[in-house]
Amino acid sequence: MSAPTRAPSAEEWAAAFTDASNTDPEIQAHGKYFTCSYLLDATERTYVIQVESGKVTHVTVDPGPLDVPYQFAIRASAETWRGFGEETPAAMFHGIWAASFQRDMKLEGDVLVLMQNLRCITRQVELLRVVGSPV
Amino acid sequence: MSNSKISPVTGHYVSVDVDGLEYKVFYLENGTGQPILCQHTAGCHNHQWRGLLEDEEITANYRVIAYDLPRHGKSDPPENTEWWKEEYQLSAEHYSNFIIALADALELENPIFMGSSFGGNVALQLALRRPDRFAGVLSVEGADYSPGFYLDWWQHPHANAAQVCASGTWDLMAPQSPEADRWKTWFYYTQGSEAFKGDLHFYSVDHDLRGRLGEIDGEKCPVVMMTGEYDYLTTPEDSERTANAITNGSFIYMPAIGHFPMSENHAVFRTYLIQALELLQAKREKPAAALA
Repeated sequence: MSAPTRAPSAEEWAAAFTDASNTDPEIQAHGKYFTCSYLLDATERTYVIQVESGKVTHVTVDPGPLDVPYQFAIRASAETWRGFGEETPAAMFHGIWAASFQRDMKLEGDVLVLMQNLRCITRQVELLRVVGSPV
Repeated sequence: MSNSKISPVTGHYVSVDVDGLEYKVFYLENGTGQPILCQHTAGCHNHQWRGLLEDEEITANYRVIAYDLPRHGKSDPPENTEWWKEEYQLSAEHYSNFIIALADALELENPIFMGSSFGGNVALQLALRRPDRFAGVLSVEGADYSPGFYLDWWQHPHANAAQVCASGTWDLMAPQSPEADRWKTWFYYTQGSEAFKGDLHFYSVDHDLRGRLGEIDGEKCPVVMMTGEYDYLTTPEDSERTANAITNGSFIYMPAIGHFPMSENHAVFRTYLIQALELLQAKREKPAAALA
C-alpha cells in the first residue's frame, strides 16, 4: 500500500488545495454562489480558506489571533485530519458529519453559513483524499 | 433496432385507511413467492430498492414490494385532512399501524418486512407489536434508540433544504460504494426535505425501545439485523447490542458499506441480504426454543 501524497509544507498544501478546488468539475459546475470563509483547524496547523463565487481566492496559513476573519470553523485533532487525507478514508474519517458524530471534530461559529454551502464544502473536504492531509 | 427494454417491475396504487386517515399509496413490485415488504429510509422513496426490484435471483423466490410511505415519492399526504395546517411528526404507533394496514390491504400472507434506517427501527416496532402478522423482520441500519438527527437544519428557511438534506446524509455512505449510485441516492434526498424532519421525529425521538427489547417475541417473529461499517448514525456496535438483547436475534456486520446499503451498493448488499434471508428461514424452521 502506497502512502498518500502529502504536501511537504503548509504553504504547498494550501496551493495544492486551492488548485484542486478551483479545477474541480463539481465545484465549478455548482459553485456559482459558493462564497464564504472558514477556519480549518488541524490543531498543529490552521488555515483560513476564503471562497468567492466558487473560487478559492486566498488561504491564510497559521493566522494570528485577530489576523483574518472567518464565518465558521471545522476543528479536529491532527490525527483525525490525517484520516481524511487517506485515499480511501477509514469509517468515521470519511466526512465532517461522520467525524463530528463519532470522532473529535467540532463544527463551530455561524453554522448556518456552513449549511448554506454544504454541498461544495463537502466536496472540498473530500478533495483531501487527493490533496492529502492538511497536517 | 432499439436497445430499449421494458423492466419487469410494475407500479400500482392501493388505498389504505388507517387511524382515521385515508392514503393513496404507490408501490413497485416484481417477483413471485413469499412477499418482502420494503421500507425506504427517512425523507426518501422506493427507488432506493431499484437494485433489489430487478434482482433476478431474489425475485425468482420472493415477491419484492417497495412502497412509498405517505408524503414520500408518489404517495400523497392524507386525502381527508388539512395536513398543511399541522406539523408532520411521525409516531411509532401510526407508522406501525400504517405498515400493518398496507400488508392487510395487499392481502399479504406470511410477509417478511425489511426496512432501512427509520425503516430498520420500525422493523423492531413491528416485531414487538405484531409478531403474528410477519414471518420475520430484517432491520437494516436499525437500533433500539437512535438520537441526534431530529434537527432544524433540514427545514431551515435560510438554507437550501434540498441540498442540506442530500449533502447532510452524503457522509452516511461509504466511499467504496459506486459514485453513480451514491449520487442517485443524493438526488433522491433532494426530493424529500419537507418529510425528512417529520420522519426523524420517529427515528430520533419517538422510537425508543431501550429496556423493551426483551418483550419482542423473536421465536414467533425472528429478527435479523444488518449494519454497515460506515454508518455514523446507527453504528454496527449499536445494532449488534440491540440484536443481542432480542430473543433469537441475529446481527450481520457489513464491511465497506454505509447507511443506505440497498441504494448505494446493491451488488454488495445483496450478498448479505441472501445470507439474512437464509438465516431468517432457518430460524423459522428451527426456532431457538426447539433446539434448547
